[in-house]
Amino acid sequence: MKLTLAHGDREYEVEVLADGRVRVGDRIVNAVRGESDSVRVDGTQAWIAVHEGVRWVFCNGRPYTFTERGGAGDRRGADRRPRPRQRGAGGELSAPMPATVRRLLVAPGDRVKAGDSLLILEAMKMELPVRAPAAGTVRAILCREGDLVQPGVALVTIE
Amino acid sequence: MPLARVLIANRGEIAVRIARACREAGIASVAVYSDADRTALHTRAADRAVRIGPASPAESYLSVPAIMEAARKSGADAIHPGYGFLSERAELARACESAGIRFVGPPSDVIARMGSKIAARELMRGAGVPIVPGGTPSDQSDAGVLSAARALGYPVLIKASAGGGGKGMRMVASDGEAREGIAAARREAEAAFGDGTLYVERLIDRPRHVEIQVFADAHGNVVHLFERECSIQRRHQKIVEESPSTAIAPDVRERMGGAAVAAARAANYRSAGTIEFLVEGTSTFYFLEMNTRLQVEHPVTEAVTGVDLVHAQLAVAAGDPLPWTQGQLSQRGHAIECRIYAEDPEREFLPQAGPLLLYREPSGPGIRIDAGVVEGDRVGVNYDPLLAKLVAYGETREIAAARAVEALTSYPVLGIRTNISFLARLLQHDAFTSGRLHTGLVGEILPQLTADEDGDPPVEAIAAAALATQRADDTSAHDPWSALRRWGR
Repeated sequence: MKLTLAHGDREYEVEVLADGRVRVGDRIVNAVRGESDSVRVDGTQAWIAVHEGVRWVFCNGRPYTFTERGGAGDRRGADRRPRPRQRGAGGELSAPMPATVRRLLVAPGDRVKAGDSLLILEAMKMELPVRAPAAGTVRAILCREGDLVQPGVALVTIE
Repeated sequence: MPLARVLIANRGEIAVRIARACREAGIASVAVYSDADRTALHTRAADRAVRIGPASPAESYLSVPAIMEAARKSGADAIHPGYGFLSERAELARACESAGIRFVGPPSDVIARMGSKIAARELMRGAGVPIVPGGTPSDQSDAGVLSAARALGYPVLIKASAGGGGKGMRMVASDGEAREGIAAARREAEAAFGDGTLYVERLIDRPRHVEIQVFADAHGNVVHLFERECSIQRRHQKIVEESPSTAIAPDVRERMGGAAVAAARAANYRSAGTIEFLVEGTSTFYFLEMNTRLQVEHPVTEAVTGVDLVHAQLAVAAGDPLPWTQGQLSQRGHAIECRIYAEDPEREFLPQAGPLLLYREPSGPGIRIDAGVVEGDRVGVNYDPLLAKLVAYGETREIAAARAVEALTSYPVLGIRTNISFLARLLQHDAFTSGRLHTGLVGEILPQLTADEDGDPPVEAIAAAALATQRADDTSAHDPWSALRRWGR
């Protein structure tokens, strides 16, 4: 069975062969399954787990994550940096993680410059300002102070 | 009179650690939990567990009425506050005093006095302990705090007058930064301590943060248990602590210990406490603040002195004299603690929430892990992201560091990002191994420590990823092995 695994911006063609071997690019390694969460690859112990399409591997002293291209965890083009995500041409801004809206700093109709703080989120006692990615006008505020917001849900739209 | 039943007004690793100490001492323990922590490890570590409210800290772990009600309901005759939450709120100690419940910590008036930075500084000045220039502006308006900051001369630290832990602290170098910093520090101070009073202080250039553990009983005995070097910080949050400090010569240690004991005596202190000092160079030290509670990093002291600070706290709360004299205490070998956080060093250390799909603690000679989680737990967004503390001990600093690195690289945690690899790189960096530490060090070398995603993963990791299988209940992707055998758990 062939699949394409992505790690950050890099992609790897991988094939699970019938006899417990795995081809990675043009290299073939031997994999010995242990318990459900471990595998030994050419003598190197690795721990593995999968959640929401993300394949977690601990190997050589540190963790790695992979997603399968076309699989559930494929977030190609998704912004991995912790700034609020901007989606769509209209400039929707959302939280990067579950958070509480601590303060709203703008109102619909306000003119903002790139980098202006629009609202302050709080998660795990840390404050995270949501900043304007570009100059524009605040079109709508889609949350209230005190709201618990989920990642990906629009909080403010700017045009 | 010995304690019979201790209520632990905390959560996470410290609640687990206190429950274990109670069990060892033959004292019954009561855990408290919010709705978010119904099945958390600390609720299972204690003999029984009492619900105190919803997930929001203000309505649970920070609620004095909820804690006192839980103590009454469970018949506790003592409350141990741990660190953080209500540990430095005089209100809880006072409520205990009026309810006839023993508070495992100092008297409420001592907490109140030392919790006020201005009162604490005045007290220290009187006791002959050196202090950093600064103060709590009497005009607490934004403009008042701003002019106080300006008068000290930038750079200046703005922080919460109540409580420690770096919450609400900002370094500002200009009026513009000060304006933004004052507003942010005030909000964080209000959120963390329910008190937005701010304190401003001159910033000492490249200082070390060295603290002295003190311990006092109700019979007038006060001792110190040497220093902890806590200069490895990120944004004023300690991440690595060690003892002894590489900078402190025996004579300076003796002077700092003497100053700390004098400070504790002046404060009429009782139980375990910590005097934090800023050290400029290797011999000039200033009183920073007193933490009137057990510290997160107390295991470092336990490792090098061989004592159990929580046992001693329980004994002193029961009215016993200190179990040791100053002459019986000595510092032996070297200990390093690493704080394991659910945070992503690649994404500006953003706190992480998610499932601990796999969590395997390392073990070995000289390794101690105080954890608040187990595999299968879900880490939420409601509380501090500290998962565990890893403490490595060895005859020398080099051995302790090597043991810590070995343990950090044998510590698989999957399902949630942590700072474990970051800590392993930090402990191997020249800046750490050289021992020339200061509180700005991590910020300076940060880019060299977070280059995690560069380059290809090892081929073994890629092959293992190809074999990583979905859980049996997760049908979101196909499983190449499901036809052969069910691996899901």
